[in-house]
Amino acid sequence: MAATNDIATRQAQNFVAGLAGATPLGLSSLSDEGRAALAELPVPTRRSERWKYSPVTAMLASPVSSAPAPKSWPESVPANPVPGLDAYRVVLVNGHVVPEACDLPVADGVMCMPLSQAVKEGRIAPGDEDWTGYHKREWVGAVNAAHAQDGLFLSLESGTSLDRPVLVHHHVTGADVASCPRHRVCLGDNARAEVVLWSSASNQASGMVNAVLEARVGAGARLGLDKVQHEHGSIFHLAHEHVTQGKASTFRIHTLTVQGHWVRNELSVLQHGSGAHTVMHGAYLPKGSEHVDNHTTMDHTVPYCTSSELYKGILYDRSTGVFNGKVFVRQDAQQTNAYQQNANIVADAGASINAKPELEIYADDVKCSHGCTVGQFDDEALFYLKSRGIGDRAARALMVQAFIGDVLEGMGSSEVADEVASLLAERHGWM
Amino acid sequence: MLTINNLHARVEDTPILKGLNLQIGPGEVHAIMGPNGSGKSTLASVLAGREDYEVTAGSVDFDGIDLLDLGASERAREGLFLAFQYPVEIPGVSNLNFMKAAVNAKREHQGLEPIAAKDFLAMVKEKAALVELDGRLRDRSVNEGFSGGEKKRNEIFQMAMLEPKLAILDETDSGLDIDALRIVSEGVNAMRDAGRSFLVITHYQRLLDHIVPDFVHVLSEGQIVKSGPKELALELEAKGYDWIKEPVA
Ligand SMILES: Nc1ncnc2c1ncn2[C@@H]1O[C@H](COP(=O)(O)OP(=O)(O)O)[C@@H](O)[C@H]1O
Ligand SMILES: [Mg+2]
Repeated sequence: MAATNDIATRQAQNFVAGLAGATPLGLSSLSDEGRAALAELPVPTRRSERWKYSPVTAMLASPVSSAPAPKSWPESVPANPVPGLDAYRVVLVNGHVVPEACDLPVADGVMCMPLSQAVKEGRIAPGDEDWTGYHKREWVGAVNAAHAQDGLFLSLESGTSLDRPVLVHHHVTGADVASCPRHRVCLGDNARAEVVLWSSASNQASGMVNAVLEARVGAGARLGLDKVQHEHGSIFHLAHEHVTQGKASTFRIHTLTVQGHWVRNELSVLQHGSGAHTVMHGAYLPKGSEHVDNHTTMDHTVPYCTSSELYKGILYDRSTGVFNGKVFVRQDAQQTNAYQQNANIVADAGASINAKPELEIYADDVKCSHGCTVGQFDDEALFYLKSRGIGDRAARALMVQAFIGDVLEGMGSSEVADEVASLLAERHGWM
Repeated sequence: MLTINNLHARVEDTPILKGLNLQIGPGEVHAIMGPNGSGKSTLASVLAGREDYEVTAGSVDFDGIDLLDLGASERAREGLFLAFQYPVEIPGVSNLNFMKAAVNAKREHQGLEPIAAKDFLAMVKEKAALVELDGRLRDRSVNEGFSGGEKKRNEIFQMAMLEPKLAILDETDSGLDIDALRIVSEGVNAMRDAGRSFLVITHYQRLLDHIVPDFVHVLSEGQIVKSGPKELALELEAKGYDWIKEPVA
């Protein structure tokens, strides 16, 4: 055991050494804390409960390094990957913002800029560099804290709202590249914003994307995230979103994993003010030998809050999936209404899913429901469709679309939902 | 239209159809009656191409085509239709999208362009009226939350949409009250014509009062043991099946 641990630790040290060249974002105390934590925190291996089904060991085996800032946005890649989406843009290549390809909103009460610029302009106070302490708990968080490059800085004053979504497009190009984007969103009371987080990668891309997003949603405010992962190549993608919600606020996220070699999404929502509402929906359709892990935490700490969680997966070929949904209902969180559902179809014999709901309820007057299913395609339904002349492929496509339809339906942007549907159709040959 | 010759079929290791012969001409309505478990639904499933059943001997000629050589969807495109004894609920798939996919699959097979949206809706309206299937049901997920009668009406609606050459109705009368039985039967009768044949599987004579067959067959233990004119159904209703359990030589 100890020997394995040593190997993992040594590999981790080598791995991190390749990141030293990263352009410092300028959040120096965060970076220092991250470096210190890297020396202390255990590397996520199979022996850690939270990483049991998604050890980063395979990632550590190939050294990576940070890429220099690109001269321009790659011509072959559309900066806006979503046809018809009318959105502001913050675009990044290998962790670096490409200013010429950005399109930022200018409006009273709205600050939207690269995070590096916000740091330079002194918009982040020294004691306020981080809101979650993720880097003190998790090795992957420490990696991001120590080597964060750039990302979205969005801050809306009370009562303001964006007239269009902000598209944050992160693209990876090149082999063995390490990218550590970091985003920060702050909505004042009653402010409103929609953000589209889009990840892409070229065919030859490999390495690590380690992305962190921290958000604060003020009282009565609404934040919506449409998060789409569509990465070619073979990227190890680690994502962490941490959201804190105020009184009567709404936070919604849709996480759609269209394609990705190895993906771990960690989503954590903390309700701070009563009457808050949270929606966390997602869908994953891995094929080949892809791996997709969704770890979510919904933390109800105050009364009269609601949450609705719905994740749906279809696992093809030899792909593997993980769903872990923690729901805490703290002692004070009376009248909580929490709903969690995870439904999976294991489409091929070689595929598998490890699904685990974890509810911890300490309040007595609450309504919590959860369900978790793992099944196959319904043969009766398939035969019924085929008996009307619909071909096998088309019949399966109808059933898949029906299965994930209620996830796509609730997305903030119908253009993004349509593009996800068409990428999936193309990828799985449903056309 | 359909010639079944010495058909043997089994599920797993259990033989169910044991040398079944049947001939249906164009425009004819044949009824198959028989006790529970005699193999009526098995015959329907085997003809429609359900994969759980293995055909171990025999042949089926469908309008000049070797039916057993085709998959389920190809059979449907060639003009075979099965109204299910137990129609399947498919949450999330709208009835209309389902029918559009089915109509277009058939049209593609015939070398036609996909149907225009306007024409499709007109067709839906016309065919739904035939079985009094209201708009609410048409727009919902396939059979989801439908009553027994609504499901059966939906089967006949689908049949009307797809205009098959041969329709097999598997106990379409079960679970229907007298009004629904009348509606369903009128829907079927409206579709009778010289080029379209029906195989009506039923337990009871009462359906055959409405859909009057040209021939009645008795299925017992995987074989047709007696055939006759429509009056045979009345005789079966009066005497039961016991008197003809033995196969005719
Ligand atoms: N999928 C199946 N698996 C096992 N046995 C079956 C299956 N389908 C039918 N059978 C058996 O085959 C026999 C005939 O069934 P069925 O064709 O449904 O009869 P009917 O429709 O005349 O009532 C019954 O004994 C039934 O139990
Ligand atoms: Mg039956």
